[in-house]
Amino acid sequence: MRLMPPNTSLLALALGIALLAGCATRPDPADPDAVAEFEQNNDPAEPFNRAMYDVHQGIDRVVLRPVASAYRDVVPQPVRTGIRNVLGNLRTPVILANDMLQGEPRRAGDTLGRFVINTTLGVAGIFDVASSLFGVRGHAEDYGQTLARWGVGEGPYLFIPVLGPSNPRDLTGFGLGIAGDPLTWVGQGVAVDVLTGVRGGMTVVDTRESLLDVLDDVQRSSLDPYATLRSAYRQRRAAEIRNSGEAAPAAAGSTGFGIGTGAFPER
Amino acid sequence: MPLPFTARRAKPKESAPTMIRLPRRSLFGAASLLALPAFRPARAQDNSRASQFILATGNELVAALNDPRADLATRRQRVAAVLRRAVDIEGVGRFILGRWWRQATPQQQQDYMKLFEETLIRNLSARFGEYQGVRFSLGRSQQRTEEDVLVNTIIERPNTAPFSLDWRVAEVNGQPRVVDVIAEGTSLRLTQRSEYSSVIQRNNGSIQALLQAMQGQIAQLAAREQQTR
Repeated sequence: MRLMPPNTSLLALALGIALLAGCATRPDPADPDAVAEFEQNNDPAEPFNRAMYDVHQGIDRVVLRPVASAYRDVVPQPVRTGIRNVLGNLRTPVILANDMLQGEPRRAGDTLGRFVINTTLGVAGIFDVASSLFGVRGHAEDYGQTLARWGVGEGPYLFIPVLGPSNPRDLTGFGLGIAGDPLTWVGQGVAVDVLTGVRGGMTVVDTRESLLDVLDDVQRSSLDPYATLRSAYRQRRAAEIRNSGEAAPAAAGSTGFGIGTGAFPER
Repeated sequence: MPLPFTARRAKPKESAPTMIRLPRRSLFGAASLLALPAFRPARAQDNSRASQFILATGNELVAALNDPRADLATRRQRVAAVLRRAVDIEGVGRFILGRWWRQATPQQQQDYMKLFEETLIRNLSARFGEYQGVRFSLGRSQQRTEEDVLVNTIIERPNTAPFSLDWRVAEVNGQPRVVDVIAEGTSLRLTQRSEYSSVIQRNNGSIQALLQAMQGQIAQLAAREQQTR
């Protein structure tokens, strides 16, 4: 574990349990292929992670998926898009900070320009006019990616209920994203608490809604959804860190399921 | 790595052109500069050949998927024929079974290959309903290595946000063949290798267990195909 911020006691707890709980049995060192695969999977705490995955599936079945599904059925598409745009716009401080921390002035300029345009012309971020009128598409960026750019290793794979697939680095990034977000610290009182709660809740619902089809498909067609998600998460994360390919959705968080879903085509 | 599939396009090939070009340039000076333009069109042609191949294959698939007159079985057969022609099923199947390929008996290898091909076809045919009215177009295309080209496409379905898919096209026996599909940075063959290996491992290294699971999956997909009708 590297670079643990003081305020992520949850992370420390999760890690502690991960280390205490059953670690995967290492393969026979005489079998180089098995060892190579074990190392490639990067999942020494697999039994623990699988247990957490089962916990997550339980929560997902009872709460997350039904809520996301109802959200899709009840709220019309244009409104959902507007909500996603607002959530993305609110993430600007985190994205901008990480663009700069990664030494990407062009991307930082994009992020800042988008924020100014979308907050004003786009009516508080509801309409992504920066993209539709000015052709400046959004991108996601987070502290986990910045840490990766700075050479911090991902550490062992972790599965966290509700948050989804992760690792110590991205989980740290997730904590930094909350701690380093000015909106976390602005104002106080009931109204602010309510707004923060609504924002957090909407992010979860929006993210889960965007993943309805993909995750349904994984559940239906994979012989081992846990292994499929692990592989997909780590590959996609690597692609995001390289800043290659398509833009992640504006509302994507820095860990778990919310990463890089729903690619939009480049025209 | 003893995997035939990865070995075929091993890393050194990426740097091969420069390694050849550099000594040439120093040795022959201007002569190599004349040779350079000859190099580029050849690679560009490679690129467009792969794109053309994907375009043709994609159009065939779309035609097969969208044919309103054909019944399910006919459509599935048409799709299967396109896939058998366009995909390096043998190579991809072996890559996905990975280290377990050599531990499988010849009979298991044979069974696996049959099941793998069936899974590939059924995975598409079970989604005939979803892919009704699908359209696709070529995006930007980029070359990766000497014989590997990534062709980008955009898939559009009615009432669904368009998404982007990359097709990895390699030369197999002198013919362009799809060897991988990449969605949002995620390679399908890598993900599936992880999935299959996990199934075998969790069944104490039994390849038979994977074959059984694949059989069950095919039955499920077949049932779904009927439902989507």
